[in-house]
Formats: sequence, structure tokens, C-alpha cells
Amino acid sequence: MNDVPLLADLVRTARGVALAVLPLAGLFAVFQLLFLRLPRTEIARIATGTVMASIGLFLFLLGISVGFMPFGRTVGQTIGAISQTWLLAIFGALLGFATTWGEPAVRILADQVEQASTGTIRRSVVLIAVCTGVAVAVAIGMLRITYDWPLFWILAPGYAAAIALIWLSDRSFVAIAVDAGGVATGPLANTFLLALGFGVAAAVAGRDPLVHGLGLAALIALAPIISVMLLGFAVRLKSA
Amino acid sequence: MITLLKLKLAETLRAVAPLIVVVSVLQVTVVGASAAVFLQYLAGSVLVTAGLLLLLTGIDFGILPMGRYIGAKLAEKSSLSLLLIVAFALGFATTAAEPDVLVLASMVGDASQGELPSQPMVYVIAAGVGLFTVVGFVRVVLGLSMRWQLTAMYALMVALTFLAPSAVVPLAYDAGSVTTGVLAGPVVLAVALGVSSVIAGRSAVHDAFGLLGLASIGPIIVILTIGLMTR
Repeated sequence: MNDVPLLADLVRTARGVALAVLPLAGLFAVFQLLFLRLPRTEIARIATGTVMASIGLFLFLLGISVGFMPFGRTVGQTIGAISQTWLLAIFGALLGFATTWGEPAVRILADQVEQASTGTIRRSVVLIAVCTGVAVAVAIGMLRITYDWPLFWILAPGYAAAIALIWLSDRSFVAIAVDAGGVATGPLANTFLLALGFGVAAAVAGRDPLVHGLGLAALIALAPIISVMLLGFAVRLKSA
Repeated sequence: MITLLKLKLAETLRAVAPLIVVVSVLQVTVVGASAAVFLQYLAGSVLVTAGLLLLLTGIDFGILPMGRYIGAKLAEKSSLSLLLIVAFALGFATTAAEPDVLVLASMVGDASQGELPSQPMVYVIAAGVGLFTVVGFVRVVLGLSMRWQLTAMYALMVALTFLAPSAVVPLAYDAGSVTTGVLAGPVVLAVALGVSSVIAGRSAVHDAFGLLGLASIGPIIVILTIGLMTR
């Protein structure tokens, strides 16, 4: 690691964070001036939190691009080259669970669920459901790349099951499940899981890394929708 | 703030521990990356842990309250057009600013073999997110059935997946993930919580959640449609 790529990483990450924060800060500024007129202490609190979150996001993304990316690629290539498909599925599931467990947006969602439900839906239960869903999705994704199953034949029954569960599951879990699908693919998943998808696709002859590797993202987004609604279905059965 | 940091420190360590353990085990058993790459990974995990601590604390301390203030004020104003403008702006601006979206847009352009340049495509994708954010907020305000709305959206999505060129499909679904960024996601969630806290008869659990999910369906449907039209 020499100095020039590190500097480029620094600049790129800083730019990304600025682009993510500025629209939000701008929206708040407009609101504050036109409608909110919050007192100084509240403004100070919001500003402190925003600056803190921005520095945090910067360090987080920098750590990922400098430290995790090269290693994630190596992990993807070596594990991708494993010829025992079942082993590949197990490693994929493990990585899927562990990366989602650390994903910030998933944690914030689970936190807000516990608060909004005043503790009736526990944070850890939501977290475990989402992570288990992703683990299963990555395992299926590994099998899919190896055996060349068409993506549509997984997505169509998957979303059909999701639609059925929308009507069978407890109503509050439906909303949470859909959100969980939206946040499950964050920066950590992109680093490790997509690298794994690309690695496996590169190792198996005749697979296009772009088509087969990226298809994994679709499965990762679908799985928590199903797993969280299954949880809601179980809750409904139990309370009935 | 100090107590919040302490609280979040425990959470952060619990959040990153499994990843570090799993990856270290993989390193020792099968991966065997060079020492330099592994050390780089360990250094990276220190940065990631510190970053996550500040990020989670900052979001709790400042960003979520900000979103809730905006949401509550929006509902109080009870002007539907204002709400729609803000919802669209929130979805549009956060997506258009996401650096990954430009990369994705150029890949969609290649895969669909269309003449679409990437920059306009970024705005099309962002508009898709904005539109679906609006649809989500309309549901919260009018109290429409989430079940029907989601059933229709998923059915449309699967139908488009079947019809669109297969090279575009993985890209479309990948786009679903770029819209709900680490900062934008919590803000959308907090605004929805704020809105639902003010409107009578809306419960936070039933009405505030679901918006992020809808917002990530937006770009999928938009990109699949682009793929279908340029075929």
C-alpha cells in the first residue's frame, strides 16, 4: 500500500460522504428557516450529531475501501475456487450472517422497530431474522451460480411467497419486512458478499461475473422480506 | 452524550465481532491471504469499528431527531402538496447524490444497448425513487392498505422481470440497494415516524415502516422499464 492510492481513497470517500450529507443538511436548513424555527440548543444537537455521523461514515467507508476491499476480493477468489459446492454454500451462509449483523442500516432499523413497538418486537429478534434470511439467500446464491439456475426462477417463486406472506403475516411485520429487504444490502454486504459472488462466477467456467455476481444482490434483498414475514406469521399463529 | 457513546460502544463491538471472527477463521483455515493483506484488513476493521461507533451515535443523537422534527412539522402543516414535494426531494436528492448510482447507470446503458447516456439515466433512477417515496407517504397520510399496495408492486416487478432483457435484470435489482444509503435510510424512516406520530389514528409500527422498502422497489421498476423500452 503506497501513499497515492490511499490519498485517492481518502478524497473519494470524503467526496462520497459530503454528497450523502449535503442534500439532507440542505433539506433541514430549508425546513428550519421556513417552518421549524427550532431553538439554538436543538440546532446544536442536530449539528453535532450530523458532524459525528459524517466523520463516522467517513471512517467506516475508508476502513472498508482500504482494509476490507482487498481482503474481500481474496476471500471471494479463494472460496470461489473451492470445488465442493456444499462447503461453498456453508461459507457463504456464514459470511452472509456475519456481514449483515454488522450492517449499520439494519441495526438502526431494528432499533427503531423496538422503540416504535415499545419493546413488544425485540431488536435482537428482528436482527436474527434478517441475518438468517441473508445467510440462506447467499447459500442459495452460491448454488445458483454453480448450477446456473436462471435468476427469474428463484425470484418469481420468491416474490410469490412474499405476496402470500403479506396476507398471512401479522400486519406490523409486513412493513418491517419490506424495509428489512431495502436495507439488507449495505456497504459491508457489497464488499464481502458481492466479492464472493464475483469470485465464484469467475471460478466457474462460462459464468459472466456481472450477471451471476450481481444477481446475488437481488437474492439478498428478497430473503429478509420472507424471513421477517415468516417471523410475523409465527407470531400470529402463536397469539391466535 | 457520553452515556450514549458508552452504550453504542458495547453495541458496536457486538456488531463487528462476528464478522471479524468469521473472517479470521476463514483466513486461518482456507483463505491464507498474504500477511500484508490480512494486516491491512485488521487495520481496516479498527477504522470500521471507530467509524461505526461515531455513525450510530451521531445518527441517534442528531440525525433521527432531525428527521422526526421534519416529519412532525410536515404532518402538522397538513398540506398534501408540501408533503409530496418534500418526499420527492428526499428520494430524488439522496439517490442522485449517491456515487454508486452513476456507475450503475453506465452499466445499465451498456447492458440495454440503448443510446441512453449515464447522467440523464441517473436522474431517471432518482426520479423513480422520488416517485415511490411519494407513493409511500401518500399511503401513510391517507391510510391506504399496505397489503394491496405491496401485492401490486411485487406483481408488477415480477412481470417486468420476466419481460425485460435478462442482462438488465441483475442491474435493476442491484439498484434497489443503492437507494437506501446509510444516512438516507434512517432519515426517511425518521420522517415517516414523525408524520405518523402527528396524524391521528396512525400507529408508528403499522404506518411508518414500509417506506424504505417501497423506495427500493422504485429504481428496480424504473430500470426494468428502461430495459424493456430499449429492447
